Amino acid sequence: MSQREPISSDRARAGQGAGTALSVDHISKTYPVPFLRLKKMFGRKFKPPVEAVRDVSFAVGEGEIFGLIGPNGAGKTTLTKMIATLIQPTAGQVTVKGFDSVRDDQDVRRNVGLAGAEERSFYWRLTAEQNLLFFARLYGLSGGRAKQRIAELLELLQLGELSRRRFAELSTGNKQRLSVARALLANPPVLLLDEPTRSLDPIAAARMRSTIKSLAQVSGGTGVSPVNHAQDARATPVTVFLTSHNLAEVEELCDRVAIISRGAIRALDTPHNLRATHTDSEQISVTFTAPDAMEVESALRAAFSIQSLTLERGISPDAWVVKFTRKTEDDVLDSVLRVLQQSGCLIRNIESERATLLDVLERYESEESSAKEEGK
Amino acid sequence: MNPLLFLRRVWAFVARDWRLELSYRMQFFLRVLSILIIVTTLFFISKIFTGFADPRFSQWGDPLAAWLTGLAVLNYFMTGFSSLANAIRQEQVQGTLESVLMTPISVPTVIVASSAWDFVQATFFSSLYLLFGWLFFNVHYRGNFLLALAFLLLTTVVLSCLGILSASFAMVFKRGDPFGIFLGTGSALFSGVFFPTQLIGEYAGRVASISRILPPTYGLDGIRRVLIEGQGFTQVREPFITLLLFLVVLLPLSLWVFGRAVRRAKREGSLIQY
Repeated sequence: MSQREPISSDRARAGQGAGTALSVDHISKTYPVPFLRLKKMFGRKFKPPVEAVRDVSFAVGEGEIFGLIGPNGAGKTTLTKMIATLIQPTAGQVTVKGFDSVRDDQDVRRNVGLAGAEERSFYWRLTAEQNLLFFARLYGLSGGRAKQRIAELLELLQLGELSRRRFAELSTGNKQRLSVARALLANPPVLLLDEPTRSLDPIAAARMRSTIKSLAQVSGGTGVSPVNHAQDARATPVTVFLTSHNLAEVEELCDRVAIISRGAIRALDTPHNLRATHTDSEQISVTFTAPDAMEVESALRAAFSIQSLTLERGISPDAWVVKFTRKTEDDVLDSVLRVLQQSGCLIRNIESERATLLDVLERYESEESSAKEEGK
Repeated sequence: MNPLLFLRRVWAFVARDWRLELSYRMQFFLRVLSILIIVTTLFFISKIFTGFADPRFSQWGDPLAAWLTGLAVLNYFMTGFSSLANAIRQEQVQGTLESVLMTPISVPTVIVASSAWDFVQATFFSSLYLLFGWLFFNVHYRGNFLLALAFLLLTTVVLSCLGILSASFAMVFKRGDPFGIFLGTGSALFSGVFFPTQLIGEYAGRVASISRILPPTYGLDGIRRVLIEGQGFTQVREPFITLLLFLVVLLPLSLWVFGRAVRRAKREGSLIQY
């Protein structure tokens, strides 16, 4: 994977800034055992209560794209549903634009749009447009406004031609896009996206990512599509809370990422910092053409004590690739390039591969597993 | 709550269900046909009893008129009772409840609004029983139709309270609703839909007291007295007041239980499970 540019500092600060869109404060959720008293009374066996989320706290700033990653069963869905007011927390508080998710649940829902990956959340025998019209009316949009908004969203998500198709006849990817359109119906300032590109083809996924980015930059609250928001002085950016298993997507989109495992947040930082914190090395591949490759290899090995240095044939017949690992920002790369040039080589390409979020996630998982083993 | 917004949301549900109904056109025509067949069958059965009218049962002089009012009203009552729980259950089973609850709409509004279409349908199909009787089989109704309507609405509201209890049960326990079993099977037997309730007392003694604790018994009796016997309000005051008493007890109780059920389901995270 190619290295990604670090995020801009103002976006990174968003989570700690004054304009907090979403605040999660010491949230815990334990699913109670049904009829526990009765079971105890009759001496029946019961499983211990499930602690799905444990003392989770973070704040998401306006216009920030915040990612939540973790393995299955880590607590991502429970946390998202608590923000969406569908589940009440056992302890702690969630506020969206200053509204409490338990006390002001309807106000929270006015400010939040949720696009899940669940296909069954639509009426299969209604058309795409009829489905959106129904939900637009529930958001309180009048007929004319609702139709105008639906037309805008269908165009934005490239669903215009499919508006009269029954939901059942749409492809999985288009169903997913319709779910995002529904989440945007009421111009919510906070958007909860659960794997927004899971069923999309690569081109459609790239478009979706581009749409999400544009929403977070300038959008929301004005009733016009993101395309027109650049000209709208009142436009405020949409805050995006994203859960995904596509870590490359999270790296590309998110300003900050939280890693959740067994219901607790293990790390929270920018993707760049998360990677840097967990590994300070990177894999370098230099592609070159050389008059005598064996001579080049001897020169490299004489110059460096790099044990992991390998030389292999490149794709084109006269190309060679030298691969090695270096510490971030040391001078090994510069030295290797100098040796290659002194040997009469022509440098064709340089690629670096740093630790990904997957590596970071895997490390936390292995730490969790080790801790669990020790506990036994 | 803003009444206009509430009505707009109710309309959204009615429009949705109308469109869904349109996608199953055949079902509609088959149901109309089945009502016509039931009315025709009852007409021929009623002919067996021609000349056997028992003066003790004044509402049953024309059994066809008594059956048709019984079936029409029972259909409406059952809608009042079952539609609220069905609304929740259907959205749960379809998987759409979560997306509906993600909009700024309260759970009680979802339940009331999503059962609205059932009432529209029940009004239509219940009217068909009376219409077919009048149109094809010379059944005549008299008396104050507004008073009959008041009985109908009052009984439906009382049954809706039981429906709210049933919906609360569906929300927490998902299936196996005892109110449904009790009212669904009990009303046809004990509320005088097909025969006078007095007969239960004659043949089964104390079992007849069951009919006295069922609100449909009073609703049906009142409506028949008005439409078939032509009685006025002073004569039907007793069943009317009994229904009001049911309402006074059941309305606050059902709303309290419902609030507890919603809170429990949200706490358990089981609102969308079925």
